Amino acid sequence: MTQRLNAYQVAPAAYEPVLNLSKYVAECGLEHSLLELVKLRASQINRCAYCLHMHAADARKAGETEARIYLLDAWEESGLYSARERAALRWTEALTRLADAAPGDEVYAELRQHFSEVEAVNLSVAIGTINVWNRINAGFRTRHPQDRRRDTAVAAA
Amino acid sequence: MSKRLNPYTAAPDSIKPLIALEASLKESGLEHSLIHLVKMRASQLNGCAYCLHMHSAEAIKDGETPARLFLLDAWHESQLYTPRERAALAWTESLTLISQTHAPDEDYEEAREHFSEEELVKLTLLIGTINTWNRIAIGFRSHHPNDRPRG
Repeated sequence: MTQRLNAYQVAPAAYEPVLNLSKYVAECGLEHSLLELVKLRASQINRCAYCLHMHAADARKAGETEARIYLLDAWEESGLYSARERAALRWTEALTRLADAAPGDEVYAELRQHFSEVEAVNLSVAIGTINVWNRINAGFRTRHPQDRRRDTAVAAA
Repeated sequence: MSKRLNPYTAAPDSIKPLIALEASLKESGLEHSLIHLVKMRASQLNGCAYCLHMHSAEAIKDGETPARLFLLDAWHESQLYTPRERAALAWTESLTLISQTHAPDEDYEEAREHFSEEELVKLTLLIGTINTWNRIAIGFRSHHPNDRPRG
């Protein structure tokens, strides 16, 4: 995939408020490990390679296990995620796939079992924010590190 | 539809950075008429009554014609929209439905014909931002004015 444009270089001033939004999310009090899972799951759904590369690396660096990163697509089928994480992942999927269906009462009730009102709003803002980044980076085909063409099926060591 | 919670009163600090982002887009230099159409179209795709109520009222207040709002769903089939608006609407649909479309080359190329790189980044941020508002309003079932059950 060829990069279309570099959004940050092209419009740094327009970018600032989005960076501030991300900074707010990072400091909002929700667990870092939870935020990384949410960002990864939304990026999987939106198929944003740049965001997946970044957040898999960030999660790993913060101590996340390989298994929880690899199995995230199938979190519903796995016992690796806590009840609070599961509620957050279900809310992430519901809000990310908003055009398909509005999140139902069951999903919202599960969210509120594990998140206070303020936490629920913060989580929703976090989901909205990664959805913005997914649209920027998938929309402009931002290249992740080591994103170069492979001509053979098996990459050279 | 009963309201779930009011994010503005429950968590005002959480909404502040979004309001700042919104304010920056209003001053971004993109035409207000275009901004209204983009917000309306994304809110239609996401099914956000609160946002449709707000942005249709704002568009009308800024001089938009009712016909262009009523026909917006079917902009493909109508000549009421300029080539620049059509490119923006196609990009809005592409990005709002990104998990399905993956923003194809033809939509990007059409957008670049009518928008500079800088404008296109701003348009993309606008689309991302209204998508975030849609998520918050629908997620928490915000009530638009005059939203009460009809017998």
